[in-house]
Amino acid sequence: MPQELKNRSAVKPLKRRNGKNDREKRYEFLCILPAITLLIITNYYPLADLFRISFTNWNLLNADYKYVGLKNWAWLWKDLLGGGRVLNAFGVTFVYTIGHMLLLIAGGLLLALLFNRMTRTFSILRALVFMPKYIAASSAAIVFLWLFNTEYGYVNFIVRQLGGENIGWLSNKTLAMVTLILVTSWHGVGYDMMIYLSAMRGISKEYYEAAMIDGAGRTACFFRITLPLLAPTTVFLMVTQFIGSMKVFQSVDVLTGGGPSGATDVIVNNIYQLAFKDYRIDRAAVVSILFFIVLLVFTRLTVKWTDRSVNYDA
Amino acid sequence: MNSATLQIKKRLKPAAVIQTIAAVAITVIIAFPVYWIFVTALKGNEEMLVLYPTLWPANFHWENFPQVFERIPLLRYFWNTIFVTACHVVIQVAVGLPAAYAFARGQFKGRDIWFLVVLGAMMIPHQVTFLPLYCIIADLGWVDTYAGLILPGTVSAYFIFMMRQNFRSVDQSYLDAGRVDGLGILGTLWHILLPMCRSSVVTVTLVSFINGWNSYFWPKILCQSDRSRLLTVGLVRLKESWSDTSMYMHYNVIFAGLLLSILPVIILFFANQKHMMTGYSKAAMK
Repeated sequence: MPQELKNRSAVKPLKRRNGKNDREKRYEFLCILPAITLLIITNYYPLADLFRISFTNWNLLNADYKYVGLKNWAWLWKDLLGGGRVLNAFGVTFVYTIGHMLLLIAGGLLLALLFNRMTRTFSILRALVFMPKYIAASSAAIVFLWLFNTEYGYVNFIVRQLGGENIGWLSNKTLAMVTLILVTSWHGVGYDMMIYLSAMRGISKEYYEAAMIDGAGRTACFFRITLPLLAPTTVFLMVTQFIGSMKVFQSVDVLTGGGPSGATDVIVNNIYQLAFKDYRIDRAAVVSILFFIVLLVFTRLTVKWTDRSVNYDA
Repeated sequence: MNSATLQIKKRLKPAAVIQTIAAVAITVIIAFPVYWIFVTALKGNEEMLVLYPTLWPANFHWENFPQVFERIPLLRYFWNTIFVTACHVVIQVAVGLPAAYAFARGQFKGRDIWFLVVLGAMMIPHQVTFLPLYCIIADLGWVDTYAGLILPGTVSAYFIFMMRQNFRSVDQSYLDAGRVDGLGILGTLWHILLPMCRSSVVTVTLVSFINGWNSYFWPKILCQSDRSRLLTVGLVRLKESWSDTSMYMHYNVIFAGLLLSILPVIILFFANQKHMMTGYSKAAMK
């Protein structure tokens, strides 16, 4: 005890200078209190409640519900094994996410290469390419609904001019997915371009000069210098956009509503339909939980992948 | 890569001309849907159902705009959206800034554990929790009200996280100087941190605003009448106010409504282009 007291008195004057007293610390805690409370109300409590709901037979038509154990989980299990709607929804989401990410990354990189000039014209062009990001995805979907209209849309007008016939962009199962990916990528690709551009500007010119002295051509410069040095940026874009892309809903809801026959029925749309069209809150809850687990696993995987990814010193 | 090689050889090389032409062509394709909104909004009904869509309206049909207001109470939707989005932004900033400061510079007990709570919240998207959230709001009798629309947007873990990163990069000696002059927590925030991190604050706040303005999922679930309906949901409703076949003929009116609703965002974008683009990407890279 005396030893400890001694130590304390030795430390105290130092602590006074940098440390804060209890009152200040209490004020600091008060600063985070509203944020934490709201996060618990809007995120954590609903998540816990989701698990509770998954054990009930709640539907929106009756006010009463009772606990039915694992009945909904059994339903989900049967659906997944039997290749039902939920399994389809996960598959569709996966296909969409892969396609969307590929288009965003490849498109963003190509656009960055093309728009990489520091003139006034190019800065206006870049702004125009970036602009779609700020239009609501649902509003953008309405525009594309008309552009891709089978009889009167401008896209099919061009197809006819080129000698083709009207294409049912949103009534064919494969094309509906292609259209969806095109629309959402149109919305987001300008952002990827900007991120790539700012990363490319960070690459020192000396690398290129040295390479050219060694007689490397442009193609070699791109594959040997630009691309490897952009690897961390690519990983960053993948990690931050992968999860967001799995949560797609707005565009699907307006463009296809999940159709034709479930071809674009992504998981959030599936949950929404279960809850507010079939009024099966209980079933929607189990699907939500499964979706949450899948998201966690993918987050974990992407983080792990980031740690392992090559990190060049640019 | 291109710019590096080009800058060495300087000036109007054929490669530069080709690059410019290609860039303009790509931009035309990408910007075409936005151009199409402007053009279609001014076309007449008879120009909609044609096999050869024209790139320019034959006559300007300004009456499309008043027609929007006959079908839907657009001004009401505008007001609802402005009010709800303003509440989102103000509350997010008011709740988020002090929290970000305390997480960046505070010395209270359990700071890092509480910060994990914030990080964890980022892993729980509203797309997962919307069901119970809806039930809670229904219990409170807040369906179809501003309160219900506002509640899930009052706090943004992303905002807190971003601002904390920014505040940590401010040198401690500035804060010490402020303490010597007797500044409290709010004083430090207002007089030191905010001015020093101004561009990030503007950027992150703009992102909050845009996210609120363009939100669709939660409003779609919650809005049941014009009393609380927001623009994004209202426009889809405008489209659905016609049956499928007559809808095609009235896409000009729908696009007129679309144009009015995206105009504020487009103006904001071009007015703050620097913040909206370079700032956005800088914020993302930190």
